[in-house]
Amino acid sequence: MSAVCAALAADPVLARHYADFRGKTEAALDPALVALVRQAVAAVHAMGEAPDESGLDAGTRAVLAYARRIPFEHTAITDAEAAAVVAHLGEAGFVAFSVLAALADAECRAALVGLPQLAGANPAP
Amino acid sequence: MSTIPRVSSAIPGEPAHFGSVLAHQPAIAHSFFALYGRFWESGVLAARIKEIARMRNARVTECGFCRNVRFDKALAEGLREEVVDEITDGYETSGRLTDAEKAVLKFTDALIHDPELLTGDAKAALQRHLTPAQIAELGLGVTLFLALAKALITMGLEPEAMDRTVLPTPAVLEAAE
Repeated sequence: MSAVCAALAADPVLARHYADFRGKTEAALDPALVALVRQAVAAVHAMGEAPDESGLDAGTRAVLAYARRIPFEHTAITDAEAAAVVAHLGEAGFVAFSVLAALADAECRAALVGLPQLAGANPAP
Repeated sequence: MSTIPRVSSAIPGEPAHFGSVLAHQPAIAHSFFALYGRFWESGVLAARIKEIARMRNARVTECGFCRNVRFDKALAEGLREEVVDEITDGYETSGRLTDAEKAVLKFTDALIHDPELLTGDAKAALQRHLTPAQIAELGLGVTLFLALAKALITMGLEPEAMDRTVLPTPAVLEAAE
């Protein structure tokens, strides 16, 4: 459960909507890629180890390199970097990935400020 | 930062903007607009407070589109441009922002920029001015503002130029309820 979902425990309507948005975003991409993107973003925030990229193809590695730029360098991403991700995922995939990576970054940040505890909920496991 | 769209519009005849690009993923788009409408319609936290947090996020993330949009519900709650002008570095000394709004801005900065900014005093101020339910809603809002600003920027959807634009506040999608 994400920190945001945990914080919304007392508001089942917003919690359901948020979980649906998060779920629809993840469902648009390959589950393995979703996990890798989330892991890569979390590692930038020192919230876990970076994914092992040794067996990954070049396209997936480009996607992960892009994802790692989201937390602190989102304005510096170049057109060429974006084009490489579009080439690998397609336009629809790029849209889903852009939302996923940005949401993963924001959720890490929500956990780092202790949002669930501030909202009187139990911390996200 | 690119102002050239990195992805095309999925709606024939429409230029590339957030809605037309998100239409490449209709399920995500529908779910997002349902969530965003519900968030803005909820009265747990005042629209003025939500808009102040959104404005701060717009400035820190450098989202020009977000910075130039105003939602009418917050304007109706008295959010004037003189107040918005003070949502900048040094807001702590503003005479127009309330203490509650300054506490919200500190939390917003901590979430979108540096968690260390939420010191013991800043946390106490937040919890003095907001209930746990309001903090939960604020946290959801800042999470969405940040994520969407970054998605918009990285997809190259920043406008080259944009006037200040007042938009209807996102509303609940009846079909989603």
